[in-house]
Amino acid sequence: MAVALNNRRREAEVTLTEIVEKYPDFPRLVALKIDVQRRGVHYTERAESVVDSSIHQMRSPYIFGSRDGQIRPLPESLILRDGTSILTDPTPLEQNPYLVDLVDGRLALINEGEVVEFVELWPKPRYYDKQTSSGVPMSHIASARPQRLNIFQSSFCHFWAEKQECRFCDIVNHTKQQKDELGVPTRLKPRDVYETVREALKEPGRFTGMCLTAGSVLKGEEIFDREVDYYIETLQAIGENFTTKKFPSQLIASAFNEKQLARLYEQTGLMSYTSDLEVLGEKMFNWICPGKAQSVGYREWRQRLIRAVDIFGRGNVGTGLVGGVELAKPSGFTNEDDALASTLAEAEYLAEHGVTTVYIVWVPRPGSYFRDQQNPSLDYFVRLARGLHNLRVKYGLGVDFDDYRRCGNHPDTDLSRLL
Amino acid sequence: MAVQLTNEIIDLLNNQETTKVLATLDADGFPHAALKQSLQPGENDTILYLEFLESSRTNKNLVRSIWFDKKVAIALRGQGGECYQIKGTPVKTHIAGPLFQEHYAAVREKHGDVDLAAVWVIEPEEIIDETFAVRRAEEEAAHPLFLHLDRRARQG
Ligand code: SF4
Repeated sequence: MAVALNNRRREAEVTLTEIVEKYPDFPRLVALKIDVQRRGVHYTERAESVVDSSIHQMRSPYIFGSRDGQIRPLPESLILRDGTSILTDPTPLEQNPYLVDLVDGRLALINEGEVVEFVELWPKPRYYDKQTSSGVPMSHIASARPQRLNIFQSSFCHFWAEKQECRFCDIVNHTKQQKDELGVPTRLKPRDVYETVREALKEPGRFTGMCLTAGSVLKGEEIFDREVDYYIETLQAIGENFTTKKFPSQLIASAFNEKQLARLYEQTGLMSYTSDLEVLGEKMFNWICPGKAQSVGYREWRQRLIRAVDIFGRGNVGTGLVGGVELAKPSGFTNEDDALASTLAEAEYLAEHGVTTVYIVWVPRPGSYFRDQQNPSLDYFVRLARGLHNLRVKYGLGVDFDDYRRCGNHPDTDLSRLL
Repeated sequence: MAVQLTNEIIDLLNNQETTKVLATLDADGFPHAALKQSLQPGENDTILYLEFLESSRTNKNLVRSIWFDKKVAIALRGQGGECYQIKGTPVKTHIAGPLFQEHYAAVREKHGDVDLAAVWVIEPEEIIDETFAVRRAEEEAAHPLFLHLDRRARQG
């Protein structure tokens, strides 16, 4: 059987096979997911020929952009046979992505001419064909994953306005592109969100949770008050769809104070709270997230997370990392062992206080400040996933709100299927 | 290597009155056997297992099986006393998509307000007829010495 060849390889890279041999207690399928996320994918023409936009989910509005900097009608992403989602995006061939090709009538991930694993495309939810009463395509209001609804309620981030954006982030550049090319609204109306969720719930078994997120809004009597108001308004609108006050949900937002967190918890159906430190360690945080560092500061951000545990409970509060960005040039760690040790030590401090840490694979995107850099090795990401998972085991911390099914973007929480 | 399911096994799997047990291995290699009436035939000689509880021991063990290539065993006992053991491997799990949603609707129709976590696909690799009369005949033919002498003692 013929498969497309792609022989370009990063210099002296340790291969997936070598990593699987080195870490026999680490699932091969999760290691594969990491590697595909690290390197991205390229859909061959043969693969594209079997994509059917009436049943497969095509790329929909997302908070961050893709590696090729383009918005094209390609499949949203992939799912492996163990139910592991791979969130990845189209990547230029020069960057040595995995190929998605058609082999014996099935889609497969190909590396160096070999079939690595057969894959499936994400199924399209029924609400994607509908519009809200105000005429907005519902796929522009909520984007789907295999079992989750993503609501990116605003793509404005105050830190960009002050040129203090996180160095890996491309939110504003990508938003401009989405608005220009697709007409995606930059700020969602709570009524549109309500209607979209209502429609999504008409498909039995399709979703197990939802996630709301947006950029930071500093305005208000106290910093972030406006951001909190807007989330409350949207969550209350969503809540009208449910018979119970609380519904499985995650908010990824700025580091709110106790008063703001209590309002969110008491006035909405929200069940978990995440505020991303993005990178652990004060020095790295100050360099990589200058806006966050200046507005709140590393220690206070961390304390706010810890205080959130008193409100949302252990296992319901988390922080996200852009895994690997701690090795960015020129001020990041210069070796992976030091980066890992530092990150895990900080994550342990958070775990001791009931805050769970998850990571996504850092992808240097063309619309970000770190655009020309390269992410770390597969070995590093495997060790990071194991390390964060082992902390959850050690401290008996659950991560139900952000696991393989309710999120699907964290290799470390894929491992929590065994917790 | 995958083996074909006989019609008798397919009938047993389809029959609600059949007793069905799924045995999996935990992290320490201890067997975990549980009654699983949702076992049913799937497409292409596979067996489906519907998992209702995401955090069940069986579900975790199945995840471990698909990740680290560990086997599972299924025991079936029909109303007429016929028994089979099927050894196999979980090769796929549907946690979303058309097949998952089809079963999700079906289990809720049948059982009321229950959830569905996964539809596991198990590929059978060995089928052993464990029906007592069959096993006894096999043993008597292969091991004529395996018996207590009193069973052959002249009476009176
Ligand atoms: S807080 Fe940082 S990562 Fe989040 S949207 Fe703003 S700049 Fe981007």
